Amino acid sequence: MAARTVPHAYPMSSEYEFANPSKIYDQNFGEGVSQCEILAPALYHGYYIRPRINKQLDRGTSEISLNEHKFEVFLDVCHFLPDELTVRTVDNLLEVMGQHPQKADRHGFISREFTRTYILPLDVDPLLVRATLSHDGILSIVAPRTGKEIKARVNEVKITQQEQPVGKEEQSGEGKEKKEP
Amino acid sequence: MAEAVIRHWVETPVRYQEQFALQELEAHKLDHSLYALPGPSTAARGNRRCTAETTAEAGKSGQEEENTGFQVLLDVVQFRPEDIIIQTFEGWLLIKAQHGPRMDEHGFISRSFTRQYKLPDGVENKDLSALFCHDGILVVEMKNSVGKN
Repeated sequence: MAARTVPHAYPMSSEYEFANPSKIYDQNFGEGVSQCEILAPALYHGYYIRPRINKQLDRGTSEISLNEHKFEVFLDVCHFLPDELTVRTVDNLLEVMGQHPQKADRHGFISREFTRTYILPLDVDPLLVRATLSHDGILSIVAPRTGKEIKARVNEVKITQQEQPVGKEEQSGEGKEKKEP
Repeated sequence: MAEAVIRHWVETPVRYQEQFALQELEAHKLDHSLYALPGPSTAARGNRRCTAETTAEAGKSGQEEENTGFQVLLDVVQFRPEDIIIQTFEGWLLIKAQHGPRMDEHGFISRSFTRQYKLPDGVENKDLSALFCHDGILVVEMKNSVGKN
């Protein structure tokens, strides 16, 4: 069920573009916070937030860069080792999975698991997807775009009209008139 | 109690001060814990005062935490309160969080993690309290009565 999630928003409207920034931040999860890292609350857009020191703003990002020739995704997977990651395509969905067993960090022990699904553009061949993991833990996934607009296959369906026999039509018409009052 | 002036560290706007003075402050404890989050200036200052009175020496912040009790802060911004399970098991505190596929700006995402902390000796399930702050920080700490005793 989870392996075949079907997107319900079709990426073709301007609303979709505005609602979907190319880069999203703060996607690392399960991180411990120590008391001394939290600063006093500040009002931000009407909400109290607590700014933090040592917060790595450039980590935990997911970026989609899309141009005429290629579709490219940069995902920060710095908590995972190369053999703990899986990248696969299911139809036009690009799935990145990561799972690491329990390990120690500076706050305690943690095990993590995630699945992130991207939607490939229509003109990307899922078989040409290439993934590279950089030394600082950023996974880059590239696929060439053919640039061809997918043509809508139009097929005119001929409507055949059914003709009713004249005698039957009259009978049914009379019947209705009688029943109505 | 009646004479004591309680000044919140998040300053109350002047126009509300009279209103607060008339009301029972204890009744606002829940609101306060939601809006005035347990940040450094409440907890750390309180700890510092306690240790200064009792031991009359200023130690490092880590030691202060050890003296007063057990507190764990965890960043769970991406999760909802119902996704999180907190358990204690044989002297360990387990915090499990899991959510299924959700739509975000880049497609779908599902996450899960399990974090383990070693509890101090003699700390049980009933001694702990958890607070999910609105800015996505989960605080699990020992209840005040236990910490003071």
